[in-house]
Amino acid sequence: MRKSIAISLLSIALAGFVTVTQAKGDGFGDVVKLIERFYHVKHQGIPFLARAGLKMATTVARISGGPRRQLAEAGSVKVAYFEDQDFIAEGSFAAFRSSMAAALAEAWTPFIQVTSAKDEEQTYIYLRDAGEKFNVLVVTIEPREACVVQVSLSPRTLAKLMQNPDEMGKEITIEATTDDQE
Amino acid sequence: MRSLSQTHLKSASLTLALLVVLVVLGATPTAMAQNPRIQTSQLDALAAKASQTVDVNIDEGLMQLAAKVLSSKDPDEAKVKSLVNGLKGIYVKSFEFETEGQYSQADLESIRSQLHNAAWNRIVNVTSKKEGSVEVYLMKSGTQVSGLALLATDPKEITVVNIVGPVDLEKLTELEGNFGVPELGIELPKTKRKN
Repeated sequence: MRKSIAISLLSIALAGFVTVTQAKGDGFGDVVKLIERFYHVKHQGIPFLARAGLKMATTVARISGGPRRQLAEAGSVKVAYFEDQDFIAEGSFAAFRSSMAAALAEAWTPFIQVTSAKDEEQTYIYLRDAGEKFNVLVVTIEPREACVVQVSLSPRTLAKLMQNPDEMGKEITIEATTDDQE
Repeated sequence: MRSLSQTHLKSASLTLALLVVLVVLGATPTAMAQNPRIQTSQLDALAAKASQTVDVNIDEGLMQLAAKVLSSKDPDEAKVKSLVNGLKGIYVKSFEFETEGQYSQADLESIRSQLHNAAWNRIVNVTSKKEGSVEVYLMKSGTQVSGLALLATDPKEITVVNIVGPVDLEKLTELEGNFGVPELGIELPKTKRKN
């Protein structure tokens, strides 16, 4: 039963309803690869993909009509998880930040970047105009885990979230990765 | 006759070219001096020593987007809409340090030097509830304010806020805590009452 759910969710994920894999040259994929190279880590493989698919499916269901109306019209969501690995910078935050800026320079605009050396935490939000919507790329790195989330938001939702940019990354990441069933 | 007119033409062309060069050379520093967007990238090196850094960039496109899509009917949105209306950008850069002495006067001068010219006017008597010093500068184009720059410092912190567009102290205080503008504790100067 569990296996069939996993397969179904995997199919949904692969069908593009929820994208958990990385795309090449789209910013999202570039950042995932950069994290892997910079920190010598790997984002989760197929077994985790199914689990993430479960999370994502419920999330999409929730944000389609759930209580968090801010993200209610979120169309596509991409997530890459890095769990239980070391993200202690071999270089510095500055080196990672400039590498990411170079990787995203062509199409993305930096919106907010917050780093905390004390807590070894980094949050970056980049924006990209996608016609009627905006792509928002949120990169969160902590000492033992990291997450890359890309969502499409309407201009109105983006404008509302923009009011509090400090919380914006958290809101989007939590929305995109929290499993209601947990 | 023909060669004389050619000489005149050549001379006129040279004069025109020289004029263009002079106009461009003369105009460039003026244009740069009157740009309310200040450069803060020279502070980026401090990130390596900082315990926390914040870098917010809300450009003209995003400001216009917020002003355009937020509803005038919803009271909360209408308030924000009026706040951002006309603004062309909000840029914030902040560094917090664990210990004192992590930044130098030269770091601060790299910001102040852009503000010490005829285009910017420092607003005197601006105080903050927070410790440290606060310097607020306004740029005016005619009677209209075209930008604001704020440099807040204490021994363990530097914050630079640059707002492009029509803005005043009152609007700055309303923006505190919104759009990446930190809580600065700005106290508005008391206006003298006429007896």
